[in-house]
Amino acid sequence: MTNRIFRLGLGLLLAGLASSALAAATPDAALAPRGAYVARAADCAACHTAPGGKPYAGGYAIASPLGAIYATNITPSKNAGIGNWSEAQFARAVREGVAADGHRLYPAMPYAEYSGMTDEDVHALYAYLITQVAPVDKAPTQRTQLGFPYNLRSLMAGWNLLFLDRQRNTPAAGASPQLARGRYLVDVLGHCGSCHTPRNLFMASDRGAYLAGGDVDGWHAPNLTSDPVSGIGGWSEDELAGFLRNGHAPGKAQAAGGMAEAVEHSLRYLSDDDLHAIAAYLKSVPAKARPGQTQPAYTFGQTAERAYDFDNAQSATTLAAIGKARAAAADVEAQRSNVAGVTDGAILFDSACASCHQPSGSGTADHYYPSLFHNTVTGAATPNNLVMAILRGVSRQGADGAAFMPGFAGDMDDGQVAAVANFVAAHFGNPALTVTAGEVAQLRVGGPAPAIQRAMPWLMGGAILVVLLAIALAARLVRRKRSP
Amino acid sequence: MANTQYDADVIVVGSGVIGSLAAHDLARHGKAVILLEAGPRVPRWKIVESFRTCANVSANNGNRNQPYPNEPWAPSSFTPGYIESTGPVDYIPGMLRLVGGTTWHWGGACWRNLPNDFKLKSLYGVGRDWPIGYDDLEPWYYRAEVEMGVSGSDSDDYSGHGGASYPPRKQPYPVRPQALSYYSQRFKERVAEGGYHFTYQPNGRATDPYDGRPACVGNNDCSPICPIGAQYSGDRHATKAERAGARLIPNAVAYKLEKGPDGKKIVAVHYKNPKGESTRLTARYVIVAAHALETPRLLLMSEVANSSGQVGRNLMDHNAFSMVLLADEPLWSGRGPVQQGDILNWRDGAFRARHGAIRHEIGNFVGNVPITERLLSQGVIGPELDRQIRHMAARWTPLSSNIEMLPEPGNRVALSSTRKDALGLPTMTVHYDVNDYVRAAGEVVKQDYANFQKLLGAEVFDKNVAVWENRDHPMGTVIMGTDPKDSVVNHECRTFDHDNLFLATTGVMPASAANNPTMTGCALALRSAAIIRQEL
Repeated sequence: MTNRIFRLGLGLLLAGLASSALAAATPDAALAPRGAYVARAADCAACHTAPGGKPYAGGYAIASPLGAIYATNITPSKNAGIGNWSEAQFARAVREGVAADGHRLYPAMPYAEYSGMTDEDVHALYAYLITQVAPVDKAPTQRTQLGFPYNLRSLMAGWNLLFLDRQRNTPAAGASPQLARGRYLVDVLGHCGSCHTPRNLFMASDRGAYLAGGDVDGWHAPNLTSDPVSGIGGWSEDELAGFLRNGHAPGKAQAAGGMAEAVEHSLRYLSDDDLHAIAAYLKSVPAKARPGQTQPAYTFGQTAERAYDFDNAQSATTLAAIGKARAAAADVEAQRSNVAGVTDGAILFDSACASCHQPSGSGTADHYYPSLFHNTVTGAATPNNLVMAILRGVSRQGADGAAFMPGFAGDMDDGQVAAVANFVAAHFGNPALTVTAGEVAQLRVGGPAPAIQRAMPWLMGGAILVVLLAIALAARLVRRKRSP
Repeated sequence: MANTQYDADVIVVGSGVIGSLAAHDLARHGKAVILLEAGPRVPRWKIVESFRTCANVSANNGNRNQPYPNEPWAPSSFTPGYIESTGPVDYIPGMLRLVGGTTWHWGGACWRNLPNDFKLKSLYGVGRDWPIGYDDLEPWYYRAEVEMGVSGSDSDDYSGHGGASYPPRKQPYPVRPQALSYYSQRFKERVAEGGYHFTYQPNGRATDPYDGRPACVGNNDCSPICPIGAQYSGDRHATKAERAGARLIPNAVAYKLEKGPDGKKIVAVHYKNPKGESTRLTARYVIVAAHALETPRLLLMSEVANSSGQVGRNLMDHNAFSMVLLADEPLWSGRGPVQQGDILNWRDGAFRARHGAIRHEIGNFVGNVPITERLLSQGVIGPELDRQIRHMAARWTPLSSNIEMLPEPGNRVALSSTRKDALGLPTMTVHYDVNDYVRAAGEVVKQDYANFQKLLGAEVFDKNVAVWENRDHPMGTVIMGTDPKDSVVNHECRTFDHDNLFLATTGVMPASAANNPTMTGCALALRSAAIIRQEL
């Protein structure tokens, strides 16, 4: 009860602070096309539409290090969705993380990013959802139930005080319309930073490392700053736009994990102008280098001549390694059921990878199967994405077609995944890239636990209150500093 | 739901495609399922590696079981002595023993039977009618096609008459057809001049990524192993069943179905592990889905379901001849899957009163190995060898002709009275012959072969129209019917003798037609699973 009163009080307070310029009016169906585009650019469906489920009916489990967070029904259903919400209530949920009934959303809903959404876009988005989406009168069966203390949604009030920027989108002084549009798409609608900016102790974006790369569910969302080595400084604007549209850029990279979802549900539908605006803006983001990295990930490895041809230097090297490994493991090879005994990366590469990526690592000439050299996955500074691609595979629909690689999580143990990853890195990518079976085991379950989770046992008990007080104090200081 | 009275609601014996589909359906609906598999569990990459290191196992000859597990407690079919052929026609089909079963090395053909295939007796006066018809099975065919991601043509006339789309479908194929290879296109054009209709073969290969499978890119190694898993295999649903909550036990050799006191029900399944130790599991229902040879073997060992005396009898397959032509133009066979189409002119018609249906399957293999062997045996070497290999491989056109058979009790699988396997269980003998109904169709095949040769302006590289081949399509061994006196199961695939024992195998099929039986077995199994669900 106390908790509810606390929450209610805080909710009312925040409601008062919030901008309420949005008038309560009948949603205008004529705005729906623009709203549909905003929904695409903001990638609402990625979370609010479950795979195989009805559009915007919720139920998709967002993997968070603190537990699964289930997206809600945002169809115009009056009992299960947002059909009874006023536009002001909707705007508050989108931009401030407070639902119509006053309960607080977790920042898995990127309201901290959406806080910069323009009134026009919120207005159009609301019109689209209310007038064009079919109501689904059923709430998702699964509900978010994080463990203590994260189940106390009221804690998010403190988090918001500290990390929620309530400023609407304001272009930097002197920015061209294209850069301003690009920044709006990247920071606000696309909420790129929610993956590509690392999170701090409190799971908020680390503003000091803007777009410098973050870790999400085992995957590493790469550095998007203009740094020529660690970031995208070496990519052309066309390459970036093509990557966003198709999910792959030959000789550079391909989208997997969460980025594959972003391409599939959102980016492939954006206009060419918008994709180029994003690319232009990213190329203007101040460089942030990864200490120690001296060579761009996509430059490792040697191009093989004649894809498909076994008669080239790269194939010869791989096939020789395979032959040597087979000779050393002849007894295991002869045992048709001996799976665990196969531990050599060359043999695993031959049997699990080479049918598509070819012994030379060249993939196919049309890039339907990507090359393993000149590939950010194999040339990266960390093994995360190589291991994750092997474990979970790749599934993506881009503007130019589908891509699919099966995952091997069920077919290989941690040692086998490490062996094949190390073979691939050594032969086709960054030779300094290595991974252990223990690291694979950790990535298999989504990567290392975030600092807050590791620290939580120490924070439990009375310490939580102290922290909250500290947060509140810190928030005041920050706000004061920001005030002109 | 799970209960304490039984170990499971349903025990499924056999994790091949048919058993796994049934197990998955039941588990998905919340039933407690145990799935027993005699063989081990092996991932695709291990099989690919075994394929690459074992002796030549090209897709159209050699021992296709070779890259697969062959454990003493679960021998595959070509293990010497495991299946002893005693009849005038040699009969040992390819059969695998591992999680996923024999579809690991099938060619992926996913046929629906035609409506007329269900009523041979009433239409043509031969064989048997089914107790159900095409319309009863149509929704279940579709369910199986969706589960397996079947690609087919929504416009082809699969009755082989070059007419409108047939048989009738309520829903289009879930996966679009693959583009025809140049070879298929040219073959189609050349034989069309002789009135032969080439149709796209319905198949379980993903044209686009489907349910965890990558798109087929034409590795041309569908059998013995699709190296990338674009082609469906039974392990998919064994794994899906497991994810849905079923308990999969590999290396568990079922050897006895235990009857209750009154003999009306099966109360338990006994299995042995590789050490020979026995386990007894109880369930409310039992589905035996252990292949059309191993299923009757288990029933005979257990002395169940055989009041008709028909268990193991009526064995049918597709008796086959084959021919390889060298066409008068380069056709470039070997691009795409190993089979892409068929000539179905003799699939159905009044002739079935006199001779069996015929399906000519157009092979799409690379001929380099047999070509090279032939040339070397003729002493051709050096640049001339290279030249002739190139010339012949470009024109390589293999045909395989499958003939319908009728159920005859004399064709049978039985328990060996002299041999036992490593667990002390009797092995199998097979008595097999082909009758005049088949042989008359063989004469038609010979005539067609002469026509194909002429239409393609071809030389014959190889031709077998003398020794009956089989196509690993065993049927009939636990035959379905309306009369408990001459049939083992009823229209639900429920045994007449034990009302909680269902058989999920192509062995129930009372007519062979001329097309691969897997899909019909799958459709029947999904139908049986739904019946069991309603009774549980």
